[in-house]
Amino acid sequence: MTEQLVTANVATNLYWLGRNLERAKQTLYNISKAYDLIIDVDKDAGVKLYKNFDIELKYKNAVDFLRQAILGEHSANIQEITENARESAIICRHRIDSEAFGEIIELRALFSNLAKNDVEIDYKLIDHAHSLISEIWGALGKREHNNKSDLFIRMGKLVEEADFRLRFKKDKAITITVMEEIDAIVQVLSDDNEATEQTQSQASDEPDLITLVNTKIHQIIVE
Amino acid sequence: MGDIIGDYRQLYITYWRCQLLEKNTELHEKFWEIFNKQDRHKVDEFKAYMDKFAVNFNLYKDGNFIEQSLPFDVVPRIISKEEFAKIDKGLQQRVKALNLFLEDLYTDAKIVKEGIVPETFVKEAGGYLKEFVGFSPSQKIRAHINGIDLVKNSVDDEWVILEDNLRVPSGASYPLSIRDTYRKIYPDFFESLKIEPIKDYPSFISESMNYVNTGGINVVLTPGRFNSAYYEHSYLAEKSGAQLVRPHELKVVDKKVYFKNYNGKLIRVGSIYRRTDDEFLDPKFFNPESLIGVPGLVEAYLAGNVALMNAIGNGVADDKGIYYFVPKMIKYYLGEEPILKNAPTYLPYFEEDRKYIFDNMDKLVIKDVAEAGGYGVLFGHEMTELQMKDLKTIIKANPRRFIAQELIEFYDEKCYLKKELQNRKADFRAYVVMAEDIKVWQCGLTRYALEEGNYLVNSSQGGGFKDTWVMEL
Repeated sequence: MTEQLVTANVATNLYWLGRNLERAKQTLYNISKAYDLIIDVDKDAGVKLYKNFDIELKYKNAVDFLRQAILGEHSANIQEITENARESAIICRHRIDSEAFGEIIELRALFSNLAKNDVEIDYKLIDHAHSLISEIWGALGKREHNNKSDLFIRMGKLVEEADFRLRFKKDKAITITVMEEIDAIVQVLSDDNEATEQTQSQASDEPDLITLVNTKIHQIIVE
Repeated sequence: MGDIIGDYRQLYITYWRCQLLEKNTELHEKFWEIFNKQDRHKVDEFKAYMDKFAVNFNLYKDGNFIEQSLPFDVVPRIISKEEFAKIDKGLQQRVKALNLFLEDLYTDAKIVKEGIVPETFVKEAGGYLKEFVGFSPSQKIRAHINGIDLVKNSVDDEWVILEDNLRVPSGASYPLSIRDTYRKIYPDFFESLKIEPIKDYPSFISESMNYVNTGGINVVLTPGRFNSAYYEHSYLAEKSGAQLVRPHELKVVDKKVYFKNYNGKLIRVGSIYRRTDDEFLDPKFFNPESLIGVPGLVEAYLAGNVALMNAIGNGVADDKGIYYFVPKMIKYYLGEEPILKNAPTYLPYFEEDRKYIFDNMDKLVIKDVAEAGGYGVLFGHEMTELQMKDLKTIIKANPRRFIAQELIEFYDEKCYLKKELQNRKADFRAYVVMAEDIKVWQCGLTRYALEEGNYLVNSSQGGGFKDTWVMEL
């Protein structure tokens, strides 16, 4: 591992860049699935989905669901998530791949133009956003995790993935695998700080896992 | 009859404007030969690429933070390698003399004692900091990174120096970005033509940082994300291999500067490329209200424990009044004739010059020495009798505050704007970096004015930028 200096601010923004990109990806994936169900299977699929985020979402039909999910005034608003990702990318631009940076700017523009121009939202937009996020992850992965900057992004991605898995009560065995990878990254980033114990062995129930991870991240990044 | 006069007038204006357009050379023809074969839609692709990679210029307007793209043009300014060699030599000479002037001024002040530069002129310069007299920085280098503004005079076809920027000159990342875009969108030019590569600029910066480094890592100190040039700070830090830091990410302990790593470890800093003006650099020494300074930094600097690029107190050499004396400095320190000329300048401080200024005000450009960025520039030919009378009264009351220059009819450059070729006045900022040797970057920032005939090219005045190609056949 190449030794690399990173300020706390940049480390935090790299971490949140990873989280917000993964959050946008996972949310869009779930929106896409719910949209399909709302059309002719389950009108309340969107309501159920957003309950997982502790949000009471209201919509008239499938198309309106897309608008409310993507631009609605709530904390899982995709426009805001991509805006936050862009802000983090600008702050830690010198630590990320330039192609990835460009794609992040484009991703945010995709949603901010939508809000400005009041255009209809359809599946094509979600597909396009998905492709962009895949390209971003592809570009970010080009360096094959050669330095700590990449590990902060990777850790953010995994924490968000674990968070989604827990919210949607996915297969626990796989969730533990994700947690193990987070632990491994935490060990590397901790350097010669006090060794951290493994997350999954310490937690008695699932929500505690994320709390523990967050505690460790606060221990790693000293403001 | 009226129409005939109108036609002649139009013809004369067209002829006059053609005279102001920089002469077409074989190098330009080679460019147009390739450019004319390009699909015009590529210009849109070019713009989209630049937008995507966010070459932004941040500003505050009416209390709001605005991020806007800096306007740019795809037609490069072309300078022959032979012509640039003279610029290179002239700039090396000028920066060498300016650095010697600063070192002398803050130590022995021989140039003042010998009456080459009047003492009062130095002491009244806004950027002169008497608290630093007696201090000599690492390697005696003060002018590490310099932006020298030039124009090419259409009357004699010669380059003229307009301004020296020895404090925190900005703008180098723009040509680097536009060149990068150019190479991606229009590789044909770079395959077919002999254009000087420019990627070495960040290495000039790291060489300079390493040369003056007092022991420790190199950092680029930015005021933060909302500074107008944050993009550039980030870009240069990345490319030069330095750490990008905000003020509170540096800590001074026992007159030594440390970088705070994410895990709380403190790493010694040996050289700081600061992008903050002197007055905000250290709240303990300068403005106590500064939120973008590093407390204790000046103490560490004066103890010789860290190098600052550029040195504190360089503002005196940026002063428009001191500019007048640069040719004299070249003769005094180097015993040479200046290779590049200043614009003919008059100081109302001297009685003879003041009389000339008052008698010829309608032909001159009057500049307030305290202003920058195109502000405080008055064109005599645009002023009314009453305005000139008022200005003369102000000048009489405070002659040190102004300089007057002959209006230089500098060349227009062709620009491809709004899908057609248009002429715009353009200047050129050259970047000169000092380490063990002085290096002139074989590129620079060509800035063009917002409107045809306008002489103000500054980005704060709505001007744009274009690439500069140093080329040979």
